[in-house]
Amino acid sequence: MKRLAAFISGPLGAIVLIVVLMSLAMLVAGTNPVDGFSALILGSLGGRNQIGETLVATTALLFPALGICLAFRAGLFNIGAEGQLLVGGMFAGAVGAAITMPPFPAIVLMLVLGAVGGGLWGAIAGWMKAKLRANEIISTLMLNFVAQYITLYLVDGPLKNPAATGAETAWLVPSYWLPTLIPHTRLSIGLLIAVALAVLLQFVFTRTVFGYELRAAGEAPEAARRSGINLGRLTWLTLAISGAFAGLGGATIVTGELHRFNTQLSPGYGFIAIAVALVGDLDPLKVCIASFAFGILEAGGLAMQASAQVPKDAIHVIEGLIILVLAARRYVAQRSERIEGAPVA
Amino acid sequence: MTGLVLTLLWLTLVKSTPIIYAALGGVISERSGVINIGLEGMMAAGAFGAVVASYYIAHGIVGALTGLIVGIASGAVVGYVLALAATKFKVDQIVAGVGINLICSGGAAYGLVLIFNQPGASRQVNGLGNNGESALVALAFLVAFALYWLLYRTPWGLRVRATGENPLAVKSAGLDPLRFRMIAVTLSGALAGLGGAFLSIGELNLYSDGMTAGRGFIALAAVIFGRWTPLGATGAAIVFGLFEALQYALEGRFAWLPADALSALPYVAALVVLAGITGRVRAPAADGVPY
Amino acid sequence: MTPALQLRGIRKRFPGIVAVDDVDLELYAGEIHALVGENGAGKSTLAAIAFGELRPDAGSVSATGSVGLVHQHFELVGRLRVWQNVLLGREPRDGWRIDVGAARKRVASLAAANNLAIEPDAFVDELPIGIQQRVELLRELEREPAVLLLDEPTSALAPAEIDAFFATVVALAQRGTAVLIVTHKLQEVISYSARVSVMRHGKIVAAMPTKETSVDEIARAMVGGALPQIAAREQTTQQPCLAVHDLRAGAAEGGVSGIDLETRSGEIVGIAGVEGNGQTALADAIAGMIPYRGSVAFAGQRNLAVIPQDRHLEGLVLNFSVVENAVLGRQHRPGIQRGALLDYARARSDARTIVERFDVRAPSVDVKVRTLSGGNQQKLVVGRALIDRPRFVLAYNPTRGVDVGATALVQSRLVEARNGGAAILLISFDLDEILSLADRILVMYRGKIAGSFDRANVDRAAIGRLMAGSQ
Repeated sequence: MKRLAAFISGPLGAIVLIVVLMSLAMLVAGTNPVDGFSALILGSLGGRNQIGETLVATTALLFPALGICLAFRAGLFNIGAEGQLLVGGMFAGAVGAAITMPPFPAIVLMLVLGAVGGGLWGAIAGWMKAKLRANEIISTLMLNFVAQYITLYLVDGPLKNPAATGAETAWLVPSYWLPTLIPHTRLSIGLLIAVALAVLLQFVFTRTVFGYELRAAGEAPEAARRSGINLGRLTWLTLAISGAFAGLGGATIVTGELHRFNTQLSPGYGFIAIAVALVGDLDPLKVCIASFAFGILEAGGLAMQASAQVPKDAIHVIEGLIILVLAARRYVAQRSERIEGAPVA
Repeated sequence: MTGLVLTLLWLTLVKSTPIIYAALGGVISERSGVINIGLEGMMAAGAFGAVVASYYIAHGIVGALTGLIVGIASGAVVGYVLALAATKFKVDQIVAGVGINLICSGGAAYGLVLIFNQPGASRQVNGLGNNGESALVALAFLVAFALYWLLYRTPWGLRVRATGENPLAVKSAGLDPLRFRMIAVTLSGALAGLGGAFLSIGELNLYSDGMTAGRGFIALAAVIFGRWTPLGATGAAIVFGLFEALQYALEGRFAWLPADALSALPYVAALVVLAGITGRVRAPAADGVPY
Repeated sequence: MTPALQLRGIRKRFPGIVAVDDVDLELYAGEIHALVGENGAGKSTLAAIAFGELRPDAGSVSATGSVGLVHQHFELVGRLRVWQNVLLGREPRDGWRIDVGAARKRVASLAAANNLAIEPDAFVDELPIGIQQRVELLRELEREPAVLLLDEPTSALAPAEIDAFFATVVALAQRGTAVLIVTHKLQEVISYSARVSVMRHGKIVAAMPTKETSVDEIARAMVGGALPQIAAREQTTQQPCLAVHDLRAGAAEGGVSGIDLETRSGEIVGIAGVEGNGQTALADAIAGMIPYRGSVAFAGQRNLAVIPQDRHLEGLVLNFSVVENAVLGRQHRPGIQRGALLDYARARSDARTIVERFDVRAPSVDVKVRTLSGGNQQKLVVGRALIDRPRFVLAYNPTRGVDVGATALVQSRLVEARNGGAAILLISFDLDEILSLADRILVMYRGKIAGSFDRANVDRAAIGRLMAGSQ
């Protein structure tokens, strides 16, 4: 029994459980799990193109997941990465379509403004939390919807590309596109930027005073306040930086893969990134691995839909289940250690 | 002019109704000490479950009524899952809620393909019709008063409120606080499911992806705005319903008011309300704290 | 006579420790039994097992009737009324509803029968601590328990309230209830109990009729030998350090109004008083944690360290390591902060210094402080406060909830800091601690200084009266 609990609570147990759940989902859809999984694996890792698509999804998830990681470590539930991603992408797309300058500064400008856009969107929730004590969970959720409608309005109105039928900005000139990382795929060097950011974040957490104060505030806010940490400033700053990460992610998608902005930029990356951050134990380096795993699900899910007739939405069910299973597994782990939380006094 | 006002008034009530149900669900859940981010997903489950049941029964109003019951039950089942996660498995309530929302919205989208063989929206099914819609609007207010009575007049309500404030005190009184949380959160899911069913077979007669459109989240803002009381949350839900109704009433009337920007109105209203009041209200002391 | 409560061969282990080790205990109707021991000796665990809150790993519990427990930290719902708290789970009904009239009446008559003045409709969080305890007591009495367990019942009460409390308890015992008092206040044991059992390291090491023993004998049994000595006070030259003038801070209830006090280097000023008389507001205002009016002025450079009253909530990050906690509150000091970076090597060497000088027993400086015992956590907090040789130390209940050994060490280090020229403001709810450490004693009552005494002319009885609000 104890061994079973230890197994279920381990990473291998979680994987087995998830595979079983996915098989069930496939059976419900009338697909042989063997066919389903081979479609998933082939579709995500079966060739250069497939690996490219997996890494594209990895990149798109990694930016917001790192931002969420930062906020959660500070004890702030930023559920607004989706909106921050959209606003960042919109900033990048709008400025990219408007400017004329040499490629390098242009790309840098788009990325920086993407981060600024996402950062501003996060800072709104941060300011509301720090100054008005407004619950950040609800404010970031609301800001997702506001971002969605405002960006839709802008690309359907003032920023609309008159040449396009749909609601989108004008295309970027090819020299403004982020360089491709693997030739003949859609993968840009955005992946490298994201990984570098993860390393930087890990450094901030483990080596800097800011990272120390942020972690202290997340673990024990009152002790942190008494140690001289300005919690209000830390709150808005953290949510702004967290939003900037997502915004930079949006800008990377615009300059790296989409080459224009529209509101279909993200099929829910900002929400799935929450799962990614949690699966990665809020540890930046583990979050990189978790992003890759979810990238496989995202890219493979599309392939599965095409070849094995398993709707892609099933993947979201699986991702939700992963969140629940992993969160519950900590409980199982604790139970097997027989920590009952009773005080010894 | 009177016509416009009456239309707006009715539209406000209709648009408020699903938010009222979900907000009442939020009140009972948070009063027991569980923050219910999963309201959104429970609404989706209720909306989808109602449509599926009505589709299979397919006997006019009988199907629609069965749909209503199945909608409530679907929400309750999802509520039960959150309750289990938050009590037995001591999962972080926010994290569990986020997971539940993904499962429900994804599950409904998956279900559309499996059952109706078409993505995006279900086929049309038998709805409750205009009378059914009106009855559910009225019922929302009845439920609000019933919940008020339950929370403030009955022993069970006192125990639920005590659990949300200090579960240890409930334990010292020889009662099991987790039981109250289980029941309260399951009930919360049932109410959110009812709100969802109103959306799909009350107002309309189909389910479409994203039809809950953040109403579960707006309901959470209404809970805070209403200071965690059933009647306060109902009032707050009506305010948000008014903004949604305004959006429809104003749409197309003024060229300079674009539809997409108007769609953001209820969410902006929720943000403004949240910014305006939260510093001055106090949540149940053990809200969000696992026991 | 059959015991009202009988514990046999009780054993309970927690990860890494045997909290209760093969204990037998019998309580008889009409008798007050005292259970004493150091923090961590297993008293509260044993009480929780007797109450049925914890399940023992081995052994049996049998009682002739119901068992009630009054917790050390009251388990009440602050935002509910007194009657709602007392009758929670046993509400009188009128159909589906609560019969509010009957409920009020029942609580009022119960309070009258036990000689406890209490307003059934008051909200609990608006009541003083002493009255809150009556609510908790009433809740247990309502169930007419055959056995009543009281866990450190007087730790938050003023001397006068303690007398009233014991009058109630003695009357209860005379009516046939078996009472177990878990405490570390030996004077109360001698005054009120019929039998006393002493616990150490999870075992009962002594059990005797109270009239055959003495405070000294019980104390020696508790620590298992001679009592540790604290450092000797030395002659110091005193200069003004921190002066507080006309300080007003905090809410009307529990705040301070018009406090004047002065501390000098090389001196310990003790603030005596019952919990809830403005001590927290005074400490928070001096530490700059809450807004205040009036002045808090340093002679010279501001240089203070705080030993906060609640080490778990205010002093430590429990999920941080000893190393990380060693620099909490010091993270901006030159030498620890280097540019944007935190010098973890320095933090580690500071942690080692604290661990050595303050005898913090930890398997390594990299373990989470959550895993340390309360005494070791407190030694870490005190060591961190003193490591930078502050000119002023604010010590708020620096030995609350720690064992005798740790208490002696902390008190010695405070005296040494004083000898070395630090000004120390010692706020403590433990009058004995103040009497043994302070050069001067100020008594706080209802947010004001009610009186002051020099070490040379302390009058324990007079201090006790001032603490209770009489002249």
